[in-house]
Amino acid sequence: MSEGPAQTIVLQSNDNVAITVERKVAERSMLIKNMLEDLAGSELDSAIPIPNVNESVLKKVIEWCEHHKNDPQTAADDDSDSRKKTTDIEEWDQKFMQVDQEMLFEIILASNYLDIKPLLDVGCKTVANMIKGKSPEEIRKTFNITNDFTPEEEEQIRRENEWAEDR
Amino acid sequence: MSNFKRAPQATPHHSSLLSTLKSTTMIESKPVLPAEIISRILDYLPIPDLLSFARTSKRMLEMVYEDSRWVQRLHAMGLWNEGEARKRFEEGMKRKREVMRKRHEEEAKRLGIGVQNGVGAQRKVSTTLFDAGVEEERQRRSQDVKSRVSVDGFETLTLGSKAQSPIERAPMLDPEALLNIFSGVRSIRGSARLEYGKIYAALAPFYFDLARSRSHVDPVIFRVYRDPEQQAQMLAHLTVFAKSDWAQGWRQREERLVTMIGVFENAVLREFEKGYEVWDIDGSMRRYAHVLGVLNGGHAGIELFVQKHPIFNEKLGNPMECINQASSDAIALEPSREFLESLAVKINEQANIIDRVFPTGEDVLQVFLDKVAEDILMEYVTPLFDEAHERNLTSYLKAVSGIFEQSLRFSLSLKPSKNSGDDFSEKTKALVARVFEPHVDLYLTEEADHFKKLAESEVDEWDKQLSEQEATKESFYMGNFNRQADKKDFLSSFKKVVMMPVNVLPTAITMPFGGMGPASKTTLAAPVPKSLSVPVSNPPSRPNTPGHGPPSPLPEAPTDELAAKAALMTSKLEGIKSLFSIEVALDLTHSAKASIERAALFVRLGGQTGEEAREQCEAIFVVLLQILGTRHVKIGFDKAVEHLSKYNPREVSEHQQGVAPLVTFLELVNVGDLISQMIDVFYEQQLAATKLADRNDFLDPAVKAKKKFEQMLDESVAAGLNKGIDVLMDEVEYLCATLQKPTDYNPLDPGPGKLMDFDIGPTLAAKQVVQLVESHTKMLNGSTDKNTLDVFNQEVGLRLFTAFCKHLKRQRVSTDGAIALISDTNLFYTYIRTLRNSDLLEYFKALRELSQIYLIEAKHAKDMAEVIADGGRFGGVFRAEEVYEFAERRADWYSVKREVERAMYGIGCGIM
Repeated sequence: MSEGPAQTIVLQSNDNVAITVERKVAERSMLIKNMLEDLAGSELDSAIPIPNVNESVLKKVIEWCEHHKNDPQTAADDDSDSRKKTTDIEEWDQKFMQVDQEMLFEIILASNYLDIKPLLDVGCKTVANMIKGKSPEEIRKTFNITNDFTPEEEEQIRRENEWAEDR
Repeated sequence: MSNFKRAPQATPHHSSLLSTLKSTTMIESKPVLPAEIISRILDYLPIPDLLSFARTSKRMLEMVYEDSRWVQRLHAMGLWNEGEARKRFEEGMKRKREVMRKRHEEEAKRLGIGVQNGVGAQRKVSTTLFDAGVEEERQRRSQDVKSRVSVDGFETLTLGSKAQSPIERAPMLDPEALLNIFSGVRSIRGSARLEYGKIYAALAPFYFDLARSRSHVDPVIFRVYRDPEQQAQMLAHLTVFAKSDWAQGWRQREERLVTMIGVFENAVLREFEKGYEVWDIDGSMRRYAHVLGVLNGGHAGIELFVQKHPIFNEKLGNPMECINQASSDAIALEPSREFLESLAVKINEQANIIDRVFPTGEDVLQVFLDKVAEDILMEYVTPLFDEAHERNLTSYLKAVSGIFEQSLRFSLSLKPSKNSGDDFSEKTKALVARVFEPHVDLYLTEEADHFKKLAESEVDEWDKQLSEQEATKESFYMGNFNRQADKKDFLSSFKKVVMMPVNVLPTAITMPFGGMGPASKTTLAAPVPKSLSVPVSNPPSRPNTPGHGPPSPLPEAPTDELAAKAALMTSKLEGIKSLFSIEVALDLTHSAKASIERAALFVRLGGQTGEEAREQCEAIFVVLLQILGTRHVKIGFDKAVEHLSKYNPREVSEHQQGVAPLVTFLELVNVGDLISQMIDVFYEQQLAATKLADRNDFLDPAVKAKKKFEQMLDESVAAGLNKGIDVLMDEVEYLCATLQKPTDYNPLDPGPGKLMDFDIGPTLAAKQVVQLVESHTKMLNGSTDKNTLDVFNQEVGLRLFTAFCKHLKRQRVSTDGAIALISDTNLFYTYIRTLRNSDLLEYFKALRELSQIYLIEAKHAKDMAEVIADGGRFGGVFRAEEVYEFAERRADWYSVKREVERAMYGIGCGIM
């Protein structure tokens, strides 16, 4: 693989916008990284289609990657200790995530699809923070969840888990 | 949007048809997150929010309630036992089948009961259902904060049976019961959430309260629990519980907890210290040590106990006493023994106290011992060794090995405490090893050096003495040589000693190394001073030879006999004193033994140090052999050979029974053999028997050195013998020349009428020669190896034969004198027969036959010719020409020559 000083590749969003990115930045996505490795040798002249992500989201994701391009790669299996991944969200990321909820979800989905774990984590944490302290009804509203419980059922679940209620 | 289609696909097994339908309709405008991402988000949620989330919809409930989510938390706290869970699960399945069967039978009767609703396929759901009555009861109780904390209601759920059994009243859990919250946790699949709930209910209030509190007086935990034991227990619980908290901010919460525990620990520690200061063993010390143990293993308390222990301030002994109480090159081990003994007593006392103060679990004594080793033993030993090393090397060597031995015994005298493991004795031994480790290297080097120097100086000393004697040496030799009787006596007694060894040596010679064999084991166990009492440098007095060692299990008699003989021998060995001395050899082996024995102690340390010690022992042995061999024995032999080659019988005025240098040399051979045997015994006992060296390893340096030593000895002996034979023959020739009177074989005619005065018997010359040769060859018997001896005898015999033949050809033999000659040859023959060498005997047989030609009267010249020509008569030893030559020595040859020649060649002439 020839490692040019600033090798670039072209990504194409699902609304057919081509975005040129530095290869290193794009490789924050494990999906792209693996793909590039698989294609090693053959020249990359055409754009890589990213079918599930639209331009605005892709740009946002690339912005994140740009900022984090020098982060150390996290090991693939950090699920073993749940505590490790639960670090606080750093400031830049917090600001970055100050978007409307739709965009937030899109970013999460895109990072999931593109396999950018750190970004996915940041997104999940942001969502978790949104949930924190909310009542079930508020949560439903926020996340557009339909209540399929009868009031009795709901009450029962509440009682059942009374032990966890904040005191 | 493409997204909402993916959601149901990602979790097809989680979603019921209904929820899928609903979400698809509702989420027209908003993207929905797939289950895997929701599950991820849930990981970041604090417990209360997690359960709020569960209440949003059935699908979310399922996701939140998922067992693995809760197992993970239990696992993080170390409370999940997979094996137990599996067992329970299997049992549960069995019971479930049983219940199912029963239920089918009773189905009809119980159909109307609502509780059964959820019991269908999903186990999880069934367990979450609740009896309303209990619920009411619980709500009523939950007015009070504390009771709400303790009541959770899950106690009543029995998981095994699917049917909701009538719930017994949940016991009101008081704060006391919370202390043992973890002990009730079971690993049950499907109810991990419930188990976690119990713990959470019990601990979370304290935990979050603690995390919020600002000072150590705030937290509820310290108000609910007044007892330090309980507080410690609770804090320990919280530490464990904190491990299951990974919602955001856990780091700060845990930090808070740690700080709080630190504050608490310090307070307890202060109490412990207070108790410690007044030595309140069973009171506050014990109490707070246990509190600390509960809190976090009690390391801080142990640390404090060990650090501040009064034993480290006491002065138990002054290491310098060991040096000051002894003479310059010795070391007094009594003070160190007392020191170690009192230390052992104190430590054993402390072990008892430790048992009383500290809870089980932590090996406090070991920590204590580590510190003792470092602060007391090291402090004692290091200055002592340094000082001794500076003052005197010998005392240093003795000090190191002696105190090491004492320390090992000290470690054995320690008693384990209740918390000590089975390997207590191993550990204490390792402790001693650690104390001595810094000294071992230096010690071993010094030991080897010391021995080398000692050995060299001994040899040098001896060399010096020798050179002082140089001036008087010649006369000394002669004077010594004149004491014929003494010499002979010495030789006989010496030989006895040398001969004895065949069976006695291995045991008797062992004596000076007392305790090498079976005794060595007792030495190790017996008080050290004994084994060290053997002085390293023996005063150069006679009695340091055998018999000086400690009493041995062997019978006294042979020891004494050998001792006497050895003393006698040494006194009589003066003749060879100028060459080398058995005494020096004994001294050297003695000090080698002392060194090796001291160094061998460290072999028991094992590991690398032990291996080094073992190698050093071998090295000492090798040095012993080198110095003894090349510096001492070989020089002696070389000198003896030199003397031999210088010997000229004609220059020696007085000729007695032997050739002085040869006698000396032969004595040397004997002594050399004795030394060699001594070395062998030494090796067997000191190195092989104690497994310091491997007898079968031919590459082993000790074995190699020993082989080399023996080889050197053999070579020296061979070289010397070669020279010795020359000298011996010179002497023989000289004797023949000087003692043989011309009238011996040719007596003067006593005059007519007078009868020949036949002196039947060998002549003086022959007698002397035989005696000379015999005495020398006999000396070698048993002292050198049989082959060498055979070769030596053969050579001596042959040379004797040649010499005599040569001698005979110079004589004139008359018929009358032939009797004497025959007697002589008979004498030789008899002597040679004792050598038991048939080849050699042939020569002398021939010689005997030959002597008969002189007996033949002149008138029987014809017969004489026949005898001369009869080659078979001489067994092929003489040819006819040679016999003829001998015949020429007849006194009447010229008168019989013609007759004989005619008889021999006349026939031939006629033919011609």
